[in-house]
Amino acid sequence: MIRQSDDIIIGTVARMLVPFIQLFALYVIMHGHYSPGGGFQGGVILGASLVLLLITHGLPETKKLLSEKGVTILSCLGVLIYSGIGLLCLILLGNYLDYGQLSKILHVTPAEARSLGILGIETGVGLTVMAIMFSIFIDISTGGVLPEDEEE
Amino acid sequence: MEVTLLIQATDDSFRILEDAREQAEGLLTTAVKITSETRQIEEQKIQALFKGAQETKSGFQNFIATFFILMVFWTMLSGKFDLFHLALGVICSFLIAFMTQDLLFANTRVGDIRIIVQRFIAYIPWLLYQIILSNFHVAYLALSPKMPIDPKIIRFNTKLESDISWVTLANSITLTPGTITMDIMEGEFFIHALSKKVADDLNTGEMEDRVAHVFMEADHIYVQDVLDVARIYGALRKHA
Repeated sequence: MIRQSDDIIIGTVARMLVPFIQLFALYVIMHGHYSPGGGFQGGVILGASLVLLLITHGLPETKKLLSEKGVTILSCLGVLIYSGIGLLCLILLGNYLDYGQLSKILHVTPAEARSLGILGIETGVGLTVMAIMFSIFIDISTGGVLPEDEEE
Repeated sequence: MEVTLLIQATDDSFRILEDAREQAEGLLTTAVKITSETRQIEEQKIQALFKGAQETKSGFQNFIATFFILMVFWTMLSGKFDLFHLALGVICSFLIAFMTQDLLFANTRVGDIRIIVQRFIAYIPWLLYQIILSNFHVAYLALSPKMPIDPKIIRFNTKLESDISWVTLANSITLTPGTITMDIMEGEFFIHALSKKVADDLNTGEMEDRVAHVFMEADHIYVQDVLDVARIYGALRKHA
């Protein structure tokens, strides 16, 4: 179980950097179709920001931001967004993940529909990757033992 | 007859002079007492004002400030100013500011954040100048054939109060070549210095004074601080 670091410099600098790291991660996700980056890379950066918070502020502080339940919900939600958009294209008489068919619902040209569809997919991928990275790190650091079990 | 009169006159004049001198001394001492008392009262007022300004910072203000800082950061990164990307930026900034509103501005003592930002920007050129100076010094140490180094560890208790100013001072010390902050233990700095000159520069405490001035620490109030605070004080007195 990881406790809060007692070094003032590390704690303060990490505290001030985490919001900017998270915003950069979202920028990487949202601009994945113009520049390098995308869902997986952005998700890894998001997960890294949470891991930084975890090793500087300890597990209880980080659980206020993202609990065990939240990790489960987010990882499933990402997969749901991905497969949901794919199935929606299948229902609209196209192939699986054939975003051009989304133009019938969204009232935009097929090219714009493809761009928006890719953005949705990337968001789902990013959410899942972030949650899974964070949960893997928690499992390794606690050895699979939850802090509630330690207190008993 | 005239002689006695003259002696009396001189006596009288001497007595008058004595009285006048005693009165003047009394006046001066009371004046000094009054000024010192008023200064103490003013300092107490300003310290109370700092505490009040710290307490009035609410969570909502932190949220708004974080949101705007992140939005500026987003536009710098993105460089696209169409409605779609700006809307994405607003949504992302809002989400992250909502999640991490207590991280960016946690327990910083805030007098007036605008003054602190101005002074911090004014502090950076001086720091760069110091970095260049100590660069030349360390290059001289490395290139001279004798290598006149004298490594030692300096300990000193800081007079700074908030953790943000501690971190600023520690990183400024680390940025200047020749000195490295090793650790901060309960307000005591442990610093590794490369030579005697560098250690003497550090012991003058100029850097510490400047950092204290930047973050408006109440331990030693400069005239400039009083002038800066007067505006806030007037605003607070209107509310009361």
